Amino acid sequence: MSDPTVTPKIVAALADYLKRDPKTIRPDLHLRDDLGLDSMAVIELLYKIEETFDLQIPDQDLVSLSTVGAVAKYVDQRLAPVKRTASDARRLPAKGKKKN
Amino acid sequence: MSGQIVVTGLGVISPIGIGVSEFWKAALDGRSGVSAIEGFDPFPMDGYRSKVAGQIHGFAPERYLDSVQAERVDRYAQFALVAAKEALADSGLQMAKENPRRIGVIVGAGMGGMVMGEREITQLYQSQRPHRVHPNFIPVITLNSASGIVAMAHGAKGPNYTISTACSSSAHALGQAMQCIREGRADVVITVGADASITPLVFAGFCSLRALSTKYNDQPERASRPFDRSRDGFVMGEGAGALVLESSAHAKKRKARIYAEVAGYAATSEAYHMVIPREDGEEIAVTMRLAMADAGIATSQIDYINAHATSTSIGDAVEAKAIRQVFRSRADKIAVSATKSLIGHTLGAAGAIGGVATVLGIHTGQIHPTANFEEPDPACDLRGLSASVQERNVKAALLNAFGFGSNNAAVVIKRYAS
Repeated sequence: MSDPTVTPKIVAALADYLKRDPKTIRPDLHLRDDLGLDSMAVIELLYKIEETFDLQIPDQDLVSLSTVGAVAKYVDQRLAPVKRTASDARRLPAKGKKKN
Repeated sequence: MSGQIVVTGLGVISPIGIGVSEFWKAALDGRSGVSAIEGFDPFPMDGYRSKVAGQIHGFAPERYLDSVQAERVDRYAQFALVAAKEALADSGLQMAKENPRRIGVIVGAGMGGMVMGEREITQLYQSQRPHRVHPNFIPVITLNSASGIVAMAHGAKGPNYTISTACSSSAHALGQAMQCIREGRADVVITVGADASITPLVFAGFCSLRALSTKYNDQPERASRPFDRSRDGFVMGEGAGALVLESSAHAKKRKARIYAEVAGYAATSEAYHMVIPREDGEEIAVTMRLAMADAGIATSQIDYINAHATSTSIGDAVEAKAIRQVFRSRADKIAVSATKSLIGHTLGAAGAIGGVATVLGIHTGQIHPTANFEEPDPACDLRGLSASVQERNVKAALLNAFGFGSNNAAVVIKRYAS
């Protein structure tokens, strides 16, 4: 994990969405089986995460985002410029072009 | 009670054809009407995850409607007018000879007048000039604008209302029209389903729901693939379908051609989730059973199911599971087809266009192909699906439709026998 702020931000987003204590949200918890998020709730969570990290998460990547830790790892990889592949770069919005 | 309720007229406007004959020819060819969206002027498609839809290209309302009528309503209501006009002409009903209070109009619409709706909202927020909001804005976006304008166009003074239950709107409209005639409140009900909301905001909304296909942006005609293993979401469509329903007594009196009988209907709620169906399929199974009970027919009599089948991963699997639950081994003998494979998901129009396809299946003995059904999905265990035309002597069929807000509809349509 290269960016230590990623996981706390994701945990904070989840805690806010689920109205529960962030301390109880561990990386190994499964979004659906442990935290009770249905597919729509996962989409809402990712919507929030996209905004927080200025990302666009393509539909194909959703299946791998099963646990809190998996989401954190995914976001971290997407944010790390060295690991970014050409196709990832296309998915990222260009800096300064974000529409408000 | 008014005996049987029959279908005497059909009308369609769809991405694969304007008019029933063009639509049905393309449907039997299994031709997809899905294409790449050229862009939402003035901005391009780059920001959209999905980039394909079943659009009606080059629609010129003035070719079908009188210009004053056409100009004052939104695109979905123009579609409703075109389909209703065709269905009425097809039925041979002459309004001048009828008691207008006995002719009703029931429309199913999911989104309504979103073209003008989005434009006016955008302009107001940009210009901040409230006095420039168009005077026709409210009448156009009011969700019963189509049922109103169809009645005005034909002088139909009977029961007039709109049913809005998202994607099942016009299946409920069909069922409600049947009940309206059954209860003796009208002799004829012009039943329409219409939607035209492939607009920048609505399309973005469905993208954000992650409900749309994104894998086939470069091959639009392959994107809508109900029950296929590689399906990845639905494709938005637009259009309208219309069916003239009437009591068999009224139809016989005027020696009308009868296509089929609308024999039963059920409406239920899963009371479960705004957008997700119950995964065990139990609620859909119950809905189909109730519709068959209403029609007084047994499961052994159903030969064809026009499935809701939007091409989403979960939705198609749940519907297949429900069909299996109800029909058990007989499910393999029932022909199943998905009209959305051809035109995408036309939302509020889907039930009516599916209804037209079901009636034509009964009337012609041909079930239209399910386009892009290439590799069966083990999660959708149905043998009656085919990417080719199926020749079937259909005596009774089910039309399924399910909508956001956890609602389900099923309609039984039978071959007419006096």
